[in-house]
Amino acid sequence: QDNIKKGEKYVIGGISVLGNTSFSEQTIITYSGLRKGEDVIIPGDKISAAIKKLWNSNLFNNIEIYINKIEGNEVYLEIRLEDLPEINEVKINGIKKSKKDKIIEENTLNKGVKVTENLLTTTKNYLENKYKKEGFYNTKVSINTIDVTEIDTLQTSTKAMNMVVNIDKGKKVKVKEIVFNGNDAIKDSKLKKAMKNTKQKNITHVLKRSKYIEADYQTDLNSVVDKFKENGYRDARITSDSLVVLDQKNVALYINLEEGEIYRFGKIDFIGNTVYSDDVLKRILRINPGDTYNGILLEKRIADTENPEAVDITNLYQNNGYLFSTINTVEVSAEGNVIDLEIRISEGKPVYFNNVTVVGNDVTNDHVIYRELHTRPGQLYNKSNVIRTIRELSQLGFFDPALLTTDFPNPNPNEGTIDLEYTVVETGSSQIELQGGYGGGGFIGTLGLSFNNFSLRNILNPKAYKPVPRGDGQKLALRLQASQFYQTYSFSFTEPWLGGEKPVQFSTSVSHTKQFLYNSQTGKADKDKAFNITGISVGIAKRLNAPDNYFTLSQAVSYQHYNLKNYNTGLFTFGDGYSNNLAYTIGLTRNSTYNDPVFPVGGSNFSVSAKLTLPYSLFNGVDYNALKHEREDLEDIVQDPTYSIPERQEANQGIAEIDQERFKWLEFYKIKFKAEWYQEIVKKLVLKPSAEFGFLGAYNQDRGDIPFERFFLGGDGLGSYSLDGRESIALRGYPNQSIQPVDANGNPTNDGGTIYNKFSLELRYPITLKQQAKIFVLGFMEGGISFNNFNDYSPYDLKRSAGVGLRVFMPAFGLLGIDFGYGFDPIPGQSSPNGWETHFIIGQQF
Amino acid sequence: CSQYQKALKKPDVGEKFRVGEEMYNKGKFAKANKLFAQIVPNYRGKPQAEKLMFLYAKTYFEMKDYYLASYQFERFASAYPQSEKVEEASFLSGKSAYMLSPVYSKDQTETRDAIEKLQSFINLYPESEFLADANELVRELDFKLERKAFEIAKQYNKIAGYNGDYTASIKAFDNFILDFPGSTYREEAYFYKLDSAFKMAMNSVETKKEERLENVKLHHKNYKKNYSEYERMEDADKMIEEVIKELEKYRTKS
Repeated sequence: QDNIKKGEKYVIGGISVLGNTSFSEQTIITYSGLRKGEDVIIPGDKISAAIKKLWNSNLFNNIEIYINKIEGNEVYLEIRLEDLPEINEVKINGIKKSKKDKIIEENTLNKGVKVTENLLTTTKNYLENKYKKEGFYNTKVSINTIDVTEIDTLQTSTKAMNMVVNIDKGKKVKVKEIVFNGNDAIKDSKLKKAMKNTKQKNITHVLKRSKYIEADYQTDLNSVVDKFKENGYRDARITSDSLVVLDQKNVALYINLEEGEIYRFGKIDFIGNTVYSDDVLKRILRINPGDTYNGILLEKRIADTENPEAVDITNLYQNNGYLFSTINTVEVSAEGNVIDLEIRISEGKPVYFNNVTVVGNDVTNDHVIYRELHTRPGQLYNKSNVIRTIRELSQLGFFDPALLTTDFPNPNPNEGTIDLEYTVVETGSSQIELQGGYGGGGFIGTLGLSFNNFSLRNILNPKAYKPVPRGDGQKLALRLQASQFYQTYSFSFTEPWLGGEKPVQFSTSVSHTKQFLYNSQTGKADKDKAFNITGISVGIAKRLNAPDNYFTLSQAVSYQHYNLKNYNTGLFTFGDGYSNNLAYTIGLTRNSTYNDPVFPVGGSNFSVSAKLTLPYSLFNGVDYNALKHEREDLEDIVQDPTYSIPERQEANQGIAEIDQERFKWLEFYKIKFKAEWYQEIVKKLVLKPSAEFGFLGAYNQDRGDIPFERFFLGGDGLGSYSLDGRESIALRGYPNQSIQPVDANGNPTNDGGTIYNKFSLELRYPITLKQQAKIFVLGFMEGGISFNNFNDYSPYDLKRSAGVGLRVFMPAFGLLGIDFGYGFDPIPGQSSPNGWETHFIIGQQF
Repeated sequence: CSQYQKALKKPDVGEKFRVGEEMYNKGKFAKANKLFAQIVPNYRGKPQAEKLMFLYAKTYFEMKDYYLASYQFERFASAYPQSEKVEEASFLSGKSAYMLSPVYSKDQTETRDAIEKLQSFINLYPESEFLADANELVRELDFKLERKAFEIAKQYNKIAGYNGDYTASIKAFDNFILDFPGSTYREEAYFYKLDSAFKMAMNSVETKKEERLENVKLHHKNYKKNYSEYERMEDADKMIEEVIKELEKYRTKS
């Protein structure tokens, strides 16, 4: 070695490898980065770089490079190293078996991992800290390694180790006592309260943990100092603190304090503000000269780091375009313990959005998204508009709300511009419903398809079928339901922005229902006795901007054709015939309920609607007065037992003919009104009063009220299938559709009412309002009644009830609920109170 | 049992390669792909791998699995930079990416990726026989980005009557004109800027109306300067007539 000339350049003449390694010589040489024929300076960078490189591979131990021999200017090098041992097996003692796998995973102690000093130390520290964090202050961890040599499948031996980790958690350490020294102004109990996570052992605090955890204790010490600072002692500090181990399970904490003197706020000057006046800023600061000095509060009012939505001065600027504003507080004087402040504001330029982009929309077309943006190019930067846009984009239901993010690239303080990029992640917004079940005396099968982000214009484009054309924000639903007694087919389509200029919602639906009568002889459906309804409707709805933007005006034209074939029931006097219902509906709603549609905590919801048909009797030339008299005469014959049976049957036939004439084209108007309010009484407890009213009338009293479109009160209000345009009105505490009007003789009818009203008072309290499941309980009192004409109408003659219920909302299932109601009044036709009823609720009804 | 089935089951690597190539030549790319996929690991590091990897990538391309095709061609190009097929491979990698680019109205990440790949091909092989094709594809992709920006700006104009924000359209068209200087939509962009400015002025609050009306004149002038021969000039002139009429009210007042 003595013949080396330091700093001289040599050429590598050869490299050899020595040592206990399973790697081939060539691999190691390649890995070292040294090459035969290469120039090296000894000692020099290349050699140390080679050692470093081999070290960094984390495969070797004891790496050294020697000079074997020198011939002229050729140098022969030798790399000596050893393979690092691999983990063969890990044993962990002192903890439960179930926790072991987790520890192995968290520390990557898997088989085959190379054992380094570093690995052993970090594992040890990790485990000690882990248990200390859980309150095991006396945790001790030791790791032993045992060499084993393993022969693998390729018959090469690898150095391997078994690892034994011994964990001695010891006893959980609790804080028996916390002792403060030096506090006069603030009582011990208040300071202890300020320590949020370190609690003294106390039998009354069963739920609060009194574990000693180092990290929590340190934060709590800061909280103690903060407590002083909040009360004017801005110089307060902890002079020393000590932990005294009382026994294996208990420690005591001694905290020595220095309070310092009490300070007050003096003059507060704002400097540099041009956009907002001193008065505006003072109103946000809400700190007056003479107040006890509170540094924490001051900081909060200037920039609350904990609450991004807080009303503070920083947000005042940030939310209104001054994105590059900075605010500094400077104490200019502290004479006589009175602190004068200067709040120095550099406003910067107001910032406008330059480019606003959306990325990640692999399915949804741009126009569906951009029309929902409240942040557009050229607009002043405004944080609340960004938040509103995010909220409304998630409400579309096309994107994953949790993954909707924003980014603000290219901020330019000189130009006063910034870009905004929304990143969306598409979610499946289609639903397929396929179910079968027993009900209504037989098997019912349902197939429902609903596509919530449909694209109608691509319906003829075969390339767009993946598996259905999507991306235009339209809704398409198909539903087939069939049992042996009825079949329903319906199709509906909705376009939320008809024409693309305004949010005018266009919707259309087509449906066909077939209903068969029960054949008592065969016990099956009688296909010869059928009632078919075919309907089509087209409607538009638009949000109004006046009087305020909670209003929606909707209009629809609907046509239904009823066809009866040998279908004689109490409801229809004409068993063979038809009826047409062409009606126009206009409705106005105002919905200002807020936050969560499942559980609103405030606002109100009003709706009023009118459904009208043409007044055919005015111009069709039929003398309904004459028909009315003729019908009355015929009815007398039917009722009179002195007539022979054929005569009475003929009279019945006559009534059917007259009724067919009366209901050929249905003539009616229907007015409905509904109002509900939500009011938070105390935190989260919401009161919901509501009232509703409905009236079905005839233009021509001689032609009379129609047997369709009526109101049926009672029960859960679920419209099982609206056979004849009937409306099920919920009234808990009574059986479904049981509150029927009574006739002149006091007997209950069963055709529903033409007038009803209902009042309800509900008190709701949420158990949980998490995204995955929203659950709330409710108590209610309500009453309602229906009549067949205005002369009988007495709106306060209510059927009353009260009860309790539970609602569960899960995104996958919708709203499910159960209510128990007690009816205080008898059902029409009975004399005793109805008593308890149980109602199951599916979907949003009440 | 067909020759393909036999080759698929037999462990003979050479046989798989031979039959795979035969399938490839017959145009049965799915079968060829299946055979090649089996033997790719066996040929790693061997001289025949070059040919195999190219054919393998090509089968994905022919099977219209452009995502994998683009990836495999890219891998080929980086693994065999000396290959005579490298030029074709890097073109096909770009073309595969092009095939993945969606309609302009959706996220254009793939479009930008394709432009980048094709552009780097053009830069690397300016003499290539595929140059004309590559340029054509890039042009088409660029047009997508152009159309996207244009349609978004135009939508701002369309919905401004509802949300009252005409500035959005003007600003978006300004950005469009800046970003796509050679666009075929340029004339239309200037026109819609004028249209937005016009509607903003006509629907303006009284305090800002005069200023905004004057502003329309500037937009009109800008349009007229370059596009006086265009069809829409007539509409533009109609707007300015109305603006002048409105402005007269302010003249007589003062």
